[in-house]
Amino acid sequence: MIYLLNRSVSFAITLLLISVITFAVTNILPGDVAMMIMGTQSNPEALAGLRESLGLNDPLVTQYLRWIGGMLTGDWGTSLVFKEEIGPLLLQKMTASSLIVVMSMTIALTAAVPLGVWAAVHRDKWQDTASSTTALLGVSLPDFFWGIMLILLFARALGWLPSSGFVDPGEDFLRALKHAFLPSLALGLGLMAHLTRMTRATMTGILAQEFIRVARAKGLPERTVVWRYGLANAIGPVMTVAGLQVGYLFGSIIVMESLFNYTGMGWLTYQALLNRDIPLIQASVFVIAAVVMLANLIVDLAYVLVDPRIRLG
Amino acid sequence: MLDDPKPIVSIDNLRVEFDTGEGTIVGVEDISLTINPGETVCVVGESGSGKSVTSLSLMRLVEFGGGRITGGKLEFRRTGGAMQDVAKADMDAMRDIRGNEIGMIFQEPMTSLNPIFTIERQMTDGLRLHKGLGARAARARALELLREVRIPQPEQRLRQYPHELSGGMRQRVVIAMAMACEPRLLIADEPTTALDVTIQAEILALIDRLKRENGMAVLFITHDMAVVAQMADRVVVMYRGNLVEEGPVSQIFENPQKDYTRALLAAVPRLGEMTGKPAPEPMRIIGAEARAQPVQAPRPDAAPVLEVRNLTTRFAVRGGLLRRRIANVHAVEDVSFELARGETLSLVGESGCGKSSCGRSILRLVEPTSGSVHMDGRDILALTRQQMRLARRDMQMVFQDPFASLNPYMRLKDQVAEPLRNFGLARGNDLTARVSQLFDRVELPQSYLRRFPHELSGGQRQRVAIARALAANPKLIIADEAVSALDVSVQAQVLNLMMELQADLGISFLFISHDMAVVERISHRVGVMYMGRIVEIGSRAQIFENPRHEYTRALMAAVPIADPAKRTLRDDLRFKPLPSPVHPLSYAPAPSVYEEVVPGHKVLVPDH
Repeated sequence: MIYLLNRSVSFAITLLLISVITFAVTNILPGDVAMMIMGTQSNPEALAGLRESLGLNDPLVTQYLRWIGGMLTGDWGTSLVFKEEIGPLLLQKMTASSLIVVMSMTIALTAAVPLGVWAAVHRDKWQDTASSTTALLGVSLPDFFWGIMLILLFARALGWLPSSGFVDPGEDFLRALKHAFLPSLALGLGLMAHLTRMTRATMTGILAQEFIRVARAKGLPERTVVWRYGLANAIGPVMTVAGLQVGYLFGSIIVMESLFNYTGMGWLTYQALLNRDIPLIQASVFVIAAVVMLANLIVDLAYVLVDPRIRLG
Repeated sequence: MLDDPKPIVSIDNLRVEFDTGEGTIVGVEDISLTINPGETVCVVGESGSGKSVTSLSLMRLVEFGGGRITGGKLEFRRTGGAMQDVAKADMDAMRDIRGNEIGMIFQEPMTSLNPIFTIERQMTDGLRLHKGLGARAARARALELLREVRIPQPEQRLRQYPHELSGGMRQRVVIAMAMACEPRLLIADEPTTALDVTIQAEILALIDRLKRENGMAVLFITHDMAVVAQMADRVVVMYRGNLVEEGPVSQIFENPQKDYTRALLAAVPRLGEMTGKPAPEPMRIIGAEARAQPVQAPRPDAAPVLEVRNLTTRFAVRGGLLRRRIANVHAVEDVSFELARGETLSLVGESGCGKSSCGRSILRLVEPTSGSVHMDGRDILALTRQQMRLARRDMQMVFQDPFASLNPYMRLKDQVAEPLRNFGLARGNDLTARVSQLFDRVELPQSYLRRFPHELSGGQRQRVAIARALAANPKLIIADEAVSALDVSVQAQVLNLMMELQADLGISFLFISHDMAVVERISHRVGVMYMGRIVEIGSRAQIFENPRHEYTRALMAAVPIADPAKRTLRDDLRFKPLPSPVHPLSYAPAPSVYEEVVPGHKVLVPDH
């Protein structure tokens, strides 16, 4: 319980810090909202009037409190570029991108865990070398390379899957999955390589432990020894690394969404940055940070379920 | 029992090899032995003798460690009565044998259990597999087993996880697990080496009782001759993958045939053998007379080198959101003693008693909470960080693990030279000369100067650690379990070296150890620690020949004696688990008050 409380409180504190940093950084950048709205060539008096009415002349602290107050009460403001309310816009794009993140993570873990375990079981044999080589190949090549390759293979050559576009999962979930599949796979490949190596390293350590030998001495079949006794101990550390990779995924998603012309969070953030849409930048950065942290919080909480030793601390 | 003509195990000319990157290593060269039903066979040998490899081969577990059985037969009598060569058995047959017909327990109770499964799950999976029991029946059997190994509150234990149990409890669970399917052979591979002596006594007695009650054969692997004397019906002595000697336990101890066995036995100190002797004696090493007699007794009038008064060390237990101090671990509690020049004072006690924390507090490797430490009259605890650094010249430490205490990337000569450089004691040719003198002093060949730690054996590394401690000409060396990780013959050499250095250089030793027999042999004075306090302190003869404190007596009663004629095994949970040393911040312990039985022999007054 203390652990849960601890994690939740540190989650809240970190989120607060992120909001301050986001707000501060976007205010240091040259140009402000008023200038973005009116354009650089606008009448200085009108600009001053707008500034006043937007509250840009208030002290930064007041502005911050107004902004964070809005964020917390659901009033996220209006995007300057899209002339839309930021809340619903972000929700839609976040859903679209989360689909990719969840899918690529699923793909990566489904492949990485068995591969890593396999490599660890056959440590220092050809299976291990094969797995490490593949993994190294996966991490060395940038994920957009995989994106291009996948488009060439599955969209151009085979014509099985669409190479671009975005479908709202709310409208047609199956089509949405189809559109999200290739970008997810491209992201998942790089991630998989990383997680395979992690699983291998963790499993190697665990398989060398005495309780594994004890399990064998009990006459348990090798698959029970490896997949129950061994993997149950490895899953926690692997999940922790996977959780940390969620942040990396949201970073990589900008490139991948552009490549697949998939209008998700990455695409939105890119547009916001390009057009100095300050309210949108602030809100997106904040939301991405919150989602990444939430993913890690969930991993931490899941760890408690897997490993009884943490419950006491 | 012994005249049963049908052995349960018959090993003939076993050979086991390990393939490594650098080529093939022979783990076992040629071993033959038999085990009869209901008999305990102890396989004894030093590290690298192949004793564990032999037992792992019998279970065919050696393959998982990279080993290969390349010769010989490993016959095991199956339940039906037919002999099967397990060296040729397929993995299905092996799974049927493992855990079912042969149970096995290992050295480390702390890591023998899967940390994330409940005790119930780990105790019942073998039963469900081999005996086809349902969940309920398996649970009932698990409870029965926990009662058989005398674990209190067994229902509750089943729901617990390994980390919630003490080391002794865990080893009981591991034994119960191995006994689950009523195996006809139990292999115990150093089952008590990692345990405290009182818990060791319980576990040995437990294994002995289970063997008698179930008519089970036991293959007991150990390096400890005292344990062999207590447990064995027959003894097999191994050395470097070969059989040296085999025979009934009384014959091996009373009339050993081979030089190696004699040397091995000679090197083992036996508790009680120093009774009536006035001074420490060198360890017996056959073929090597000690070069110097140990210091008889330090002059009583001399001012003490080290004077410790009311030393108290507490560690913070932190918790809550802000990681504030919420409780204290009372590691060292009001400890006082002094140490004369050229004297050895041993601190003995079980793990967690505070003996190591005490040694570290004196050197301020951990910061004491209160009290005073005077070294040659100088207040150590009042020194600034810079002064303390210089003061460490006079007080050096030798740690337990010579593998961990030497830097793997530095040449030995540089490691030994380091204190000399640090304190600016020598440079250039002088430095080189001093280092090579130090190597001579600890009897290491000069050719080792340029080597790295991994090229040395454990005993040689500990010599390097001692040379390094000697480099700055210290007045005091604190040896924290300095010989505990070494094989007995090597241990004897290192101890003799320490006694010689003391005789020649007048060094004082604070010798921290759990090994009562070694302490009896080498100490001038002894302090027994329990729960952070010294419960009894006095001369070696006073403590060993006239122990007054209840705990001292319990501790001595638990020490196995390397003499098969003196068996002391009694299986009745005599020893209470250690109470917790963690207390709330408000807890103010009473001071240690001693009663001086005779001059120099002090016993803690009860209720403290």
